[in-house]
Amino acid sequence: MSRPPTRAARLAARALPLAVAAGAALLGAVSPARAAGAPEASDSELAIVASVQHQELVGGAPVREPIAGARVIVTLEAGTPVAEGVTGADGTVRIPVPEKATYVVTLDQSSLPEGEALIDAAKGSVTILQDLFSTNEKRVVFFTGEASGRGASEFERIMQRLADGMRLGLIIAMCSVGLSLVFGTTGLTNFAHGEMVTFGGMIAFLLNVMLEIPLVISGPITIVAGGAFGLLLNWGIFARLSRRGIGLVSQLVVTVGLSIMLRNVYLFQFGGRTKQLSDYSKQINLEIGPIGITPRDLTTSILSLLILLGVAGFLQYSRTGKAVRAVSDNVNLASATGIDTQRIVRIVWFAGGALAATGGIFRGLDEQVGFQMGSDLLFLMFAGITLGGLGSAYGALIGGFAVGVFVEMASLVVPTELKNAPALFILIVVLIVRPQGILGKSQRVG
Amino acid sequence: MDWGSILGNAIRAFVGTDAVYFALAAIGLNVQFGYTGLLNFGQAAFMACGAYGLGMTAQYFGISFWWGLPIGLLYVVVLGLIVGIPTLRLRADYLAIVTIATAEIVRLVVRSVRFKEYFGGSDGINQFSQAYRDLSPFEPGATYGITPFRFTGYTLSTLLPGWILVAIVSAFVWSLMRSPWGRVVKAIREDEDAVRSLGKNVYTYKMQSLIIGGVIGMLSGVVFSLDRGSVQPDNYSRDVTFYVLTALVLGGIAKVSGSVVGSMLFWFIFVFVDNFMRELTADGPLKVGGVTVIESTQVGPVAYMLVGLGLMLLMVLRPQGLFGNKKEMALDAR
Amino acid sequence: MPAEPTSETARAARAALATVAPEPGAREPDPILVANGVRRAFGGVVAVDVAHVEVQRGSITALIGPNGAGKTTLFNLLSGFDTPDVGEWRFDGHNMSRVAPHRTPAMGMVRTFQLTKSLTKLPVIENMKLGAMHQRGERWWNALIPPLWRRQERAIEERADALLRRFRMDHMRDEYAGTLSGGQRKLLEMARALMTEPRLVMLDEPMAGVNPALKQSLNDHIRSLRDDGMTVLFVEHDMDMVHDVSDWVIVMAEGAVIAEGTPEQISSNPAVIEAYLGVHQGKAMTADR
Repeated sequence: MSRPPTRAARLAARALPLAVAAGAALLGAVSPARAAGAPEASDSELAIVASVQHQELVGGAPVREPIAGARVIVTLEAGTPVAEGVTGADGTVRIPVPEKATYVVTLDQSSLPEGEALIDAAKGSVTILQDLFSTNEKRVVFFTGEASGRGASEFERIMQRLADGMRLGLIIAMCSVGLSLVFGTTGLTNFAHGEMVTFGGMIAFLLNVMLEIPLVISGPITIVAGGAFGLLLNWGIFARLSRRGIGLVSQLVVTVGLSIMLRNVYLFQFGGRTKQLSDYSKQINLEIGPIGITPRDLTTSILSLLILLGVAGFLQYSRTGKAVRAVSDNVNLASATGIDTQRIVRIVWFAGGALAATGGIFRGLDEQVGFQMGSDLLFLMFAGITLGGLGSAYGALIGGFAVGVFVEMASLVVPTELKNAPALFILIVVLIVRPQGILGKSQRVG
Repeated sequence: MDWGSILGNAIRAFVGTDAVYFALAAIGLNVQFGYTGLLNFGQAAFMACGAYGLGMTAQYFGISFWWGLPIGLLYVVVLGLIVGIPTLRLRADYLAIVTIATAEIVRLVVRSVRFKEYFGGSDGINQFSQAYRDLSPFEPGATYGITPFRFTGYTLSTLLPGWILVAIVSAFVWSLMRSPWGRVVKAIREDEDAVRSLGKNVYTYKMQSLIIGGVIGMLSGVVFSLDRGSVQPDNYSRDVTFYVLTALVLGGIAKVSGSVVGSMLFWFIFVFVDNFMRELTADGPLKVGGVTVIESTQVGPVAYMLVGLGLMLLMVLRPQGLFGNKKEMALDAR
Repeated sequence: MPAEPTSETARAARAALATVAPEPGAREPDPILVANGVRRAFGGVVAVDVAHVEVQRGSITALIGPNGAGKTTLFNLLSGFDTPDVGEWRFDGHNMSRVAPHRTPAMGMVRTFQLTKSLTKLPVIENMKLGAMHQRGERWWNALIPPLWRRQERAIEERADALLRRFRMDHMRDEYAGTLSGGQRKLLEMARALMTEPRLVMLDEPMAGVNPALKQSLNDHIRSLRDDGMTVLFVEHDMDMVHDVSDWVIVMAEGAVIAEGTPEQISSNPAVIEAYLGVHQGKAMTADR
């Protein structure tokens, strides 16, 4: 298991959520009841739906065929058997389970047809946590097929990772600008910033999937809504707390509470499963030299880059942008020179919320929309803004991008399940070597 | 609506093992956050040190169960140094960021397939605590006590020692905080430059506080995994730290009794609310005027939503705790 | 008008300084603190660039200058709270450059802060006791065994009470420091610094935010430090106070020392007047008093 993940495995990992969503859509799991805003009517029983698929790469894109007759066993964590089933012609089997608990779903690999084997033998069993059993059906997909990344040379793998890393880096950079600027202008470290990213994904899902508004229109609406959400948080909570003289440490703990609350509001409304946005969900990879990328991902990457350049231009040249940098640099000095710092703080919350929401949409397109999508990125964002320099807008852009690239490149040698560990490494090394980050103000170290 | 069972469950939770392990984790967090002002958002990882210290004696080392404590202690020190060295010279936020990140990575490492042979992967570790169970004077299957304080012998064999441990640790922290050492860390919480100017090595004190709090957190993980008879990586997720933090704030920061009372209250309220909502939705989704308000699968999210809301409100309105006195808090010059 | 020397030590300090040439970088007969080529820049701005400065043992030396002259930055550097780009300084013969701030009190050098750092949620007496050095009970493993430190704690408490009486704060002994007025906090901070038993006390704007009624007694307290054999170096804006208590004045402007001398010499120094008028627009020290 020490070998680096192959291209095929990587594609499988990326395709897994897609396949799950496709299956869910086919089964009508996204029920119309949701569109009306009411929580989904519950099905009568809990079940685990397992699907076994043979996957092959044709021209870089995965092509799948269902495998029938495979035996899938559901046990409790301790190993107690609960139920089992055999896949049908569609490669799928529905296994009812008695209660919400933590289950282990195992594919009986000996039941596979002659010559079939799991792409990643380690993925022969999947644990479904009780906590995540928030919907009545949990889906599990097993992929069989050729494990070795045929046709993918070392060079191609590196280039592909670099491209993926740049994509991730752009999204992280976009999400972190607000986090860094709010810190710079108010001193607040916002642990609920990840939820502002998720907010973008949720609103995009609401508009695009439930209300069926094309993303070209619903996207901009979502972005404005994200900005408004940022403003609302500032107006409703943090501006008030600052006015009441509540200390920054207390405010930081408040952001933690906010993060827990929002995440569970999302879970309540949206459910624990990740879901696909309607538009641009079926895509075939373009082959650009050694790199495979879908037109959608290419578009979002270019859009991200344009937005980030726009942000940089705004900060560099516009009057307001200069004021934002001035406040971020030194609040007292800036307000002494007649800058309305409260206005700047509002602008920063709006812009930060809007950018986070944009990141949420792009991330939602790239991966899927889920209630934890933002909080899963939070740690990478922190690594990015620490690297770039806490409080510096350009630092967030550079640091976020660098962390994205580093994390993806590192996954050439680090197991996928530990993909985020290199970001911790960056975080610690930066704090030891240069705690103010690349672009941060040098601060006194006691 | 079965009020008897709701209340009974809530009362049992009030004194149950969940309250014990929360109390220990909260006492540790209180040493760090409440007294010293260290934002340790990775208490879950310190708890995991204890749990895996025990579990790995069976899973990997194949040595006596009792080695679990020194091994856990070693893990705590290593973890404390990893998160402390880069951050304790910097402003408070950095410790929060690094601890939350480290705790998440610790969880990913112990549940990884890659390191399964050491930590048992996502299945965790199950067979390790027989040596402890064998010492129990209680019949595992029998029940003891009077309603609603009725527990099985199995539970009692961790519950009673657990509360004794809480008492010992509370006394330990209480005497620590009344000593000159406690005076220094409380002063650091308020203004570390002042303390530095008076000739104290602030960095060392912070590190000591972080590790002492971490060791107490480790004991929490020990009690928890003994009670469950298993070590599960996902019991040490990021949010566990925040629930402990909520319990701490609920009981009142920087008071020894606050951590204990807060943890008991936390579980009482949590189980009460959770059971109440489960009763409401037991016969299908609760509807008001034909619109579904809540269904059984949504009870969990709602309960945790309230935890988050509670943490926000308490921190702003009653940082001295639900029953604390406002006087000391009003002195905040911030 | 400069105060008449009130004590033997004061007379001695003044006599020693009377022979010193009043010029920047003056060499003093018995300096307790000597700094050479200390320079600190923030970004492109040079905050401190001091070629040479000395502080006479047993004197009260004032460090004055217009806003932004680098007085507090120099204070931070000398007390180890900031690190200079270049430069070295000696305290009683010990090289202090690169000495961590928490080590300086043990060597006999203690400082206070411009914005008072009284620990508001600790009672006054606990604030005081925190100042004592080498406390056995401050090691956590000893902390658990009170017999190891209880006697020392009692001795410290007696010393703290004595100091509180001296600063007329004994009636506030058990109040939270947060309930004190600004002036009382300044006093508390000074008293707490004395708990470290220093030879050099560095006070950063001891008069800032102190009401006029308290100022006189604060002055008396500062004088009494000298009379007890301590050296005092203080940063101040309040010119009356500088005149009142100091034996020697060092004037900084734009990071550099531009003048030194006795208070009388300084008040007639044209460079000083220019520095103040240039930056401070009229709020200068009056030329002759």
